[in-house]
Amino acid sequence: MTRKTFLLSAALLATLPFVSCKKSEDAGKLSVGFLLKSKGNQYFVTCEQGARAAAEELDIDLRVDGPISADPAKQNEIVENWITDGLDVIVAACENKDSLSTALRKAQDAGIKVITYDADAQPDARSFFSNQATAQGIGEKLIDTSASLTDGSGEFAIITGTLTSANLNEWIAAIKVRQAEKYPGMKLVDIRPCDDNKDKAQQEATNLLSAHPNLKAIVAVCSPGVPGAAEAVKQAGKTGAVKVVGLGLPSENRAYVKEGVTQAIILWNPEDLGYLAVHAGVALAKGNLTGGSESFKAGKLGNLEIEGDSIILGTPFTFTKENIDNFDF
Amino acid sequence: MLRACASSHAAATSKRFSWKSLTAYEAEDGLTFSTDPLKWGVFRTKGIFARHEAVLLLVIAVELVLFQVLGRNFLTGGNVSNVFRHSVEIGLLALAMTPVILTGGIDLSVGSLMGLCAVLFGMMVKMLGLDPWVAGCLAVLCGAMGGAVNAGLVAGLKLPPLIVTLGTFSLFRGLAEAFTKGSESYSGFSEEFLALGNSDLAGVPTQVWILVAVGLGIWFLVHRTTYGRSLRAIGFAEEGARYAGLPVGRNLSLAYISAGAVAGLAAVILVARLGEARANAGIGYELLAITAVVLGGVSIFGGSGNVSGTVLGWISLAILNNGLTRISGYEILGEKVSSVARELSGLLTGLLLLSALALAASTKTLALRRARKQSTPDPQSP
Repeated sequence: MTRKTFLLSAALLATLPFVSCKKSEDAGKLSVGFLLKSKGNQYFVTCEQGARAAAEELDIDLRVDGPISADPAKQNEIVENWITDGLDVIVAACENKDSLSTALRKAQDAGIKVITYDADAQPDARSFFSNQATAQGIGEKLIDTSASLTDGSGEFAIITGTLTSANLNEWIAAIKVRQAEKYPGMKLVDIRPCDDNKDKAQQEATNLLSAHPNLKAIVAVCSPGVPGAAEAVKQAGKTGAVKVVGLGLPSENRAYVKEGVTQAIILWNPEDLGYLAVHAGVALAKGNLTGGSESFKAGKLGNLEIEGDSIILGTPFTFTKENIDNFDF
Repeated sequence: MLRACASSHAAATSKRFSWKSLTAYEAEDGLTFSTDPLKWGVFRTKGIFARHEAVLLLVIAVELVLFQVLGRNFLTGGNVSNVFRHSVEIGLLALAMTPVILTGGIDLSVGSLMGLCAVLFGMMVKMLGLDPWVAGCLAVLCGAMGGAVNAGLVAGLKLPPLIVTLGTFSLFRGLAEAFTKGSESYSGFSEEFLALGNSDLAGVPTQVWILVAVGLGIWFLVHRTTYGRSLRAIGFAEEGARYAGLPVGRNLSLAYISAGAVAGLAAVILVARLGEARANAGIGYELLAITAVVLGGVSIFGGSGNVSGTVLGWISLAILNNGLTRISGYEILGEKVSSVARELSGLLTGLLLLSALALAASTKTLALRRARKQSTPDPQSP
């Protein structure tokens, strides 16, 4: 029995030299690897759709991959496999910034062009970062939207994640600057933290509504804050009277947006982000995008601004009652 | 078998390595060693383990052919080196897990211990400014200390290993997360240190040499020393081993402590490969290591199994994981699927484990039935 098994193994192995028939590769096409943070995240699945659209336009061989498990080594392994395959371009969103940078540097050493999107690597591990939005862009969009809903006047309050969160504070600072400049009729009455918890956000919003009866709008800068504030407004019976605007995922807010409790959800369109990143990667490989470029034409997105080594996707996207059903992330 | 162990232990107390008693013992275990080099290895063996290893070789052969046909750039130098580079940590854990499982125990904490050692290593280098090689040795020591916690509870208080290591599984990961507040990480290690995880030595990934050294060491311990035999005796019948005068507590402790030390070593190698020390290092590795060991034919009840089985089990898992990532660019129902194979990884690992075990068990049953048929006299004859 053992011998038979062994002979069978040997026979199988003997066929190896003859089975190396390869599938026809997409010869001559530029090969691009598109790395997701995680395959199970609808946000990245939407990025992938944009990447595929760009690949179709540019006629390239696109490979999409990403980890399923929480193992931090998985992204590195994917990149190293791509180095072995000799891809031309790698477009990556980094889960673990420093560890993936190790692998991306290796890729650059092997002559592969590297672009990051969504979550950046160390600057020396990539050429350009496709930046979904600047702090300024997010803050301005939030206050502009609130102002247009309240005719640029009245009290408004902010619900944030924690008072120490660096990026949220940058956005709030941008909101304050813009409001002072353009909407002097508006007044920021309070900033409350919700500890990134929807129930806490609802509680804080309820307190805000009773403390400030003239409140015209609640702006939530963290994603759990938006549905939390909406629930509070709905339960207080102030639907429509107090506008809710925030930064969050359309899926978490769909019901409130359709009921008219939440007026607008601000977020960049992940599909555009994926589309831009692949366009940038291909342009980099073809020499159309080089250090020092000040703007970059990304297909249907038109000319985009480059700040240093990040390509700015542009102003964030606004999801409203009319368009929210077109997005499932 | 027990008597063999007891006597060999008695022999060993007077003379450390008694090759004669060793050979006698190994023969009983189903493996014979011959002076004829052509008869060396796993093929000229009898008994269930030998058969099991042949099954694994068949599995590996099937995998190689399958992935070479379906995947791209599978059997290329760069990829073969990736197969090993990416799985060294799991290989190390599986090797260190083998003695533990031979005693009928289990160590669920090694993956978490990797996370803890990785974080401690990062802190020692980045906050205390230690040389990475010194810190690496200290991280191995920390691993051994973590293992000693398991050892104390399992061997000292005689608590069930499954429960003890389930506790330390949470404890070690929790400590690592507490030290880093869950999100801090350490990076920016020196190029010389990163080379441990990213360079080649004599055409082979550097860390593979460490794996080979550890593998030979554990093979020697398990198959060539009285310590190794006592592990099997403990797994076969712990109380019996105790009555036979074996130092059960000491030897059990050694198995858990060495598993901890190897987990520390695996953590250092992982950090060198990734360039970042973070609390989430090694998540889920303990289960992959146990899968490799069990796939290698080591009995989960203890008492039987060998290191070569573990190595083959580990290689078949490593090939499966890498091979799946080579399959890409297929069109299914008109839609281009880039890497559907990765989603199948868990499914196929499970199938591989179950079918290899089932195949081995059924060949054993068949052989037994045939043997019984030959030995029982024909009832018709007078």
